[in-house]
Amino acid sequence: MSKTGHWSLRAKRIAIGAALYLGAVVLGLGSAWWVLKNAPWLNPSVEVGPWRANMHAGSQDAGMYTRATVAVNALLALGRDETMYFVATRDDAGHALRAQCSYRITGVPPQARWWSITAYAEDLFLFDAPNGHYSLNGATAVLDAAGAFTLSTGPSEQPGLYWLPTPGQRPLVLTLRLYNPAPALQAAPQSLVAPTVQKIGGCP
Amino acid sequence: MKNFSEHQRLWFYRGLTLLVTAVLAHLLAVWAAPRVIMYLLMHGPTAQKMNMHNQAAFPEAVTSESRTVVMPSPDMLYSVCAFDLRAGPVRVRAAPVLAHYWSVALYAANSDNFFVRNDRQTQGRSVDLWLVAPGGDPQQKQPPAGTEVVVSPSSTGFLLMRVLTTDYQAEKAVVEPARRTLQCSRG
Repeated sequence: MSKTGHWSLRAKRIAIGAALYLGAVVLGLGSAWWVLKNAPWLNPSVEVGPWRANMHAGSQDAGMYTRATVAVNALLALGRDETMYFVATRDDAGHALRAQCSYRITGVPPQARWWSITAYAEDLFLFDAPNGHYSLNGATAVLDAAGAFTLSTGPSEQPGLYWLPTPGQRPLVLTLRLYNPAPALQAAPQSLVAPTVQKIGGCP
Repeated sequence: MKNFSEHQRLWFYRGLTLLVTAVLAHLLAVWAAPRVIMYLLMHGPTAQKMNMHNQAAFPEAVTSESRTVVMPSPDMLYSVCAFDLRAGPVRVRAAPVLAHYWSVALYAANSDNFFVRNDRQTQGRSVDLWLVAPGGDPQQKQPPAGTEVVVSPSSTGFLLMRVLTTDYQAEKAVVEPARRTLQCSRG
């Protein structure tokens, strides 16, 4: 082999090697991002109906994955003795929540000093709600004779229901916050009487 | 590996090295993510604009335009401070007069919430903290009388004060002065 051919072959091997290592780094970074975005509430988690919570969110006991997941999806979360966060990305039937669909959410006030249900888009920011309703909370909820509240989310208002507008065609994320939850609920988060999330009619 | 040719062994080790590289990159990214996000929160363009380094800053009430921190709570009014204890302690004071929930929470540089005080715990008293670095105060300053000494697990971090407001416009005259009682200053 000539000297030029030898160097050409060597340069080609170096280029292929560099490309492979770059690919490995991209794969590592990409898989990390995928895990943190798509498995937002990794174990140890609690599931109650369609709601999930990570009991180590905001805690100094959080493992590496929980800490990173919370930083990406719920930065500045408080520990569960102060606040518990339950997140729903699916309805009671197990179907992914979508902004263009309407949902009826019904429940009883949780055992906490203060609570709220907020609608977020998949980027975890608020929808542009024309009526200024971003959440239903302990002050705005109207309870029926059975002590239950009901709200709706979706592109249009449902008669008689408190409406959280979710304009656009994108995934929907619901967050139930419980400030100063009762000690019994902190000890047994699965005892939460979870609000139901049911789709109303069809989706456009 | 006796039955493998030199060429096959070479590719085996190359594959193994690539796999180890990918795993290390993955673990490093997961470890670094909260630290990088917190760094951007404390030193990024919004932090620079709000001038929150060792002093209190008061973001606008949360709306759909609020896009600095994910999952902003529309029921909370926030006050913030990016504390830096490398040059000495930071004193944090807050004295909201409110009949409902408020809290002062401290976050380490890795995003852990290491301290929180709420209105029930303070029982009408103000929050007065003497925040020191993990190794203590190199200048050995005496904490002012009446302050609660809090040792931060990291020399930089973030303070978030939450004030509950169910109707900001209606409650503005009460909740704005309450959240502006936050003081964050070099000790």
